[in-house]
Amino acid sequence: MSAYIPVIGLEVHAELLTKSKVFCTCSAEFGGGKNSRCCPVCSGMPGTLPVINQTAVEYAVKAGFAMGCDINKFSVFDRKNYFYPDLPKAYQISQLNLPLCINGTVPIEYEEDGVKKTKNIRINRIHLEEDAGKLIHDDLNGVSLADYNRCGVPLIEIVTEPDMSSAAEAKAFVEKVSLLLQYAGVCDCKMEQGSIRADVNVSIMKPTDTEFGTRTEMKNLNSIKAIGRAIDFEIYRQGKLLDMGQKVVQETRRFDDNRGETKAMRSKENAHDYRYFPEPDILQVNFTDEQLDAIKKSLPELPAQRIERYINSYGLSEGDAKILVNTKILSDFFDTAVGAYNNPKSICNFINGELMRRLNLGEIVLENLPFTAEQFAKLVEMGDTEKISKNDAKDVFREMSEKGGDPETIAKEKGLLITNDLGKVAEVIDKVLADNGKAVDQYKGGDMKVFGFIMGQCTKALKGVCTPKVIKEELEKKLKSL
Amino acid sequence: MDVTSLKIGDMRSMLDKKEISVSELTDAYLDRINAVDGKLESYITVTADAAKKAAEKAQEKINKGESSPLCGIPLAIKDNICTDGVKTTCASKMLENFIPPYNATVMDRLENEGIVMLGKTSMDEFAMGGSTQTSAFKKTKNPYDLERVPGGSSGGSAAAVGASLCAAAIGSDTGGSIRQPSSFCGVTGLKPTYGRVSRYGLVAFASSLDQIGPIAKSAADCAVILNAISGYDSHDGTSSRNDVPDFTAKIGQDVKGMKIALPKEFYADGIDDDVRTAVLKAADYYKSIGAELIDCSMPSLKYAVAAYYLISSAEASSNLSRYDGIKYGHRSEEGESFNELIANSRREGFGEEVKRRIMLGNYALSSGYYDAYYGKAMALKQKIREEYEQIFTCCDVILTPTAPTVAYGLHENISDPAKMYQADICTVTVNIASLPAISTTCGYDSNDMPIGMSIIGKKWDEATIIQAADAYEKNFVRQNAAI
Amino acid sequence: MDLDMVKYLSQLGKLSFTDEELVKMAGDMTDIIEIMDTIKEIDVTYEPIKDNHNVYLNDLRKDISTESSPTAKILQNAVNSEDAFVVPKVVE
Repeated sequence: MSAYIPVIGLEVHAELLTKSKVFCTCSAEFGGGKNSRCCPVCSGMPGTLPVINQTAVEYAVKAGFAMGCDINKFSVFDRKNYFYPDLPKAYQISQLNLPLCINGTVPIEYEEDGVKKTKNIRINRIHLEEDAGKLIHDDLNGVSLADYNRCGVPLIEIVTEPDMSSAAEAKAFVEKVSLLLQYAGVCDCKMEQGSIRADVNVSIMKPTDTEFGTRTEMKNLNSIKAIGRAIDFEIYRQGKLLDMGQKVVQETRRFDDNRGETKAMRSKENAHDYRYFPEPDILQVNFTDEQLDAIKKSLPELPAQRIERYINSYGLSEGDAKILVNTKILSDFFDTAVGAYNNPKSICNFINGELMRRLNLGEIVLENLPFTAEQFAKLVEMGDTEKISKNDAKDVFREMSEKGGDPETIAKEKGLLITNDLGKVAEVIDKVLADNGKAVDQYKGGDMKVFGFIMGQCTKALKGVCTPKVIKEELEKKLKSL
Repeated sequence: MDVTSLKIGDMRSMLDKKEISVSELTDAYLDRINAVDGKLESYITVTADAAKKAAEKAQEKINKGESSPLCGIPLAIKDNICTDGVKTTCASKMLENFIPPYNATVMDRLENEGIVMLGKTSMDEFAMGGSTQTSAFKKTKNPYDLERVPGGSSGGSAAAVGASLCAAAIGSDTGGSIRQPSSFCGVTGLKPTYGRVSRYGLVAFASSLDQIGPIAKSAADCAVILNAISGYDSHDGTSSRNDVPDFTAKIGQDVKGMKIALPKEFYADGIDDDVRTAVLKAADYYKSIGAELIDCSMPSLKYAVAAYYLISSAEASSNLSRYDGIKYGHRSEEGESFNELIANSRREGFGEEVKRRIMLGNYALSSGYYDAYYGKAMALKQKIREEYEQIFTCCDVILTPTAPTVAYGLHENISDPAKMYQADICTVTVNIASLPAISTTCGYDSNDMPIGMSIIGKKWDEATIIQAADAYEKNFVRQNAAI
Repeated sequence: MDLDMVKYLSQLGKLSFTDEELVKMAGDMTDIIEIMDTIKEIDVTYEPIKDNHNVYLNDLRKDISTESSPTAKILQNAVNSEDAFVVPKVVE
């Protein structure tokens, strides 16, 4: 295949975490019995009107700030007209010329051919719109069943400039956007529930070309993997077409996850004439500078700031900081743990070691840990303060991972708790020395090597009672006094 | 005495003095509907049983001393206003069996007031027309002459008021649909400022222009109803949060010193001589009682009909896309695929005029034509609004004819849509500029057909146009309808 | 207006017409467009900001969810099955 430069642009759709839908007061939560989260407004009954949700607008603006966008202080909603059975009004309320956010940038980091690279992806716009319903295909009866629960769930569409040139970049972009939206607190980014999904535009051009090639669009890709595979296939398919002297047709294609191929869609008219016009039922939204400042201030700590805090305030390495921050739930866990026990490095090490190991083994999942961050912190602290040996800490952690619970209780039950009870230590040492008179004599006779043997006997007998350091001190004291 | 011909104020005092019961009043209207509406065809649905129950409830309120201005007053509701559990057809085969699962805000407010709903009145299909002859069910006649149209689109409401088949009625006005039928049927109709009355539950025709308003026997009656239905509604983001004044406050006040503007373009060639003469005579009357007449001009009026039809049809094409036979409404027997089913359902469910508007609207919005049509029309909307603002810098109200002609024959005009559209010239600018206007009868032609004049007010100033109309009505004797 | 345009518009609006109806519609539309074309002579541009109603962020609806309608009420005017609207199979 000849060398082509792929040109990739994305439209990422993310559902906002509002309580109510964007234009009515039905719950915006995921799921529910079919058509149980509907009212006359979101089911498109004649005579109903949309009333816009303030929080949805704020969240869209927050997303904009998180991606470095400018905010239009005067923003207009428009109708996008098309017929589809998951869209009860036969138009989607969206934004065309004056979206809430414009001109942003999202920096991405990715690896290509084993080399770490960075790039800035430009955001053309972020606008607020409404989600559509769901169609359940009943093959047996040859019909589809329409469920409108999702109709009207607030959605932002993040539109990039065609700045990406590989599947790796596109995947890194979607991952970064997910992360930003999660940190901004506006979307849970659960791809498997469809709360974030992407449309991908792909075209290819020769290095000598001055204009982009004809692009195709793959809609509704709902996993990072599918995004990568669809792009790779499309680059390959378009390249083959051009190699054979054929032309790429501008069209919408569906990605078949099972076959790993894209296919032209038959029914959804390819040349859409959406007849956008200003939505007369929704008055334009204005912002004062104070309102925008307030939203900006309400924005939680974003990934870049958090990485900086971990490095500068906690002394973590850049690598460690990124590992934590790149999984928000892990990073939040870390922060809570540090709140309970202020030793970030130690907590980070335990996360990187034991927690990661159990995660990778699939024994635990971050979304549903059987123990709290505070309990985790306590375990790390117990190890650090030698209330438990480092090795025993691992055992206790295994138990916590399996059954949950308080590390101190577990350690106590297992007899792993180190009490440093000097009375008990003295008692045991006395007994060991009495039982091993010969060795003691050898030691007194100047055979220092035998100390190791005696020490071993004491350690064995004092397991969980005392740290080796204390045993050694006490033993030396005792032997000296003999 | 025939109680059905009374105005609301008189009914109120009879009800409150217990000279008549709400049930007796309601029955009098139901009897008259039974006797007359076979010929007039103003109601699509008569809700007699529900009306009788509502009458009893209203009576209880009155007996308990909890009466309110509209308590026990029998009203008719245009059939494009959603009534929970009561068929709302928009006079379209498409919604022949549609039972809304909710009430329009206006209905909630009227029911809280204790009104008695007599039924749902006919109209042009989806409010598109000026004759009520595009109704799929009841092609209402004019109460002054059964061979003539009642006007439209709120023709059923206006005819029912004109024929005393209700005390008053609720209509909707997108480009004249309250005022023009009021004019044709010899009654008073008020189109409030856009945003004054919630549109929630009004089946949308053109969302940026639609407004609900009263049709009654007098400006004073309109004011009482407007008091009940006005105000901010959390279900309608375009409803106004402005304070609602008492619209009856200026009733009875004289118009001495009131400045009344007459834009010359509204009195030009397209207006019938009888109509022009009658409205100018009314202007002279105002002058005689102390008002000041002012000449003015609205240069963009010649573009108003086009701008109105482009905007309203564009919005309608979108608003009516939801009728696909899936969620409600006519569902064709034919159609294997979604696209076939929807096209067949719409083919069978919509009448010709509705289809023309959808075609025009899609044309105005389609790529390649948007700027030349829809975009230009929106710009003209702004220009016309500015011209009104200019005129209002030197006057309090504007006086125009309501329609170029009196009610025409049942079979005239109907086949020529382009000619029908031109007839809206006197009313559409008011919707385009979001203004309030009231139409009241100012005279009769040689055939005793009513002639209407419109008084247009500043934004939010319904009280002054009510005052002006009331001042004229006080000295004007209405001729009763022939029916 | 030519027949192709009428056909295109009928597809946009999901309206089906017989050939005869199409011809009549083309005639009606030609007459109607003639009126609409009167606006071509005037030079004006739409300015969105002039339609501003000064609604600010804080004026918008607060994010409070309320109970939805009973499913049966939502479906009362529809052909339905298993709590859902029945749609002829959609071809992708």
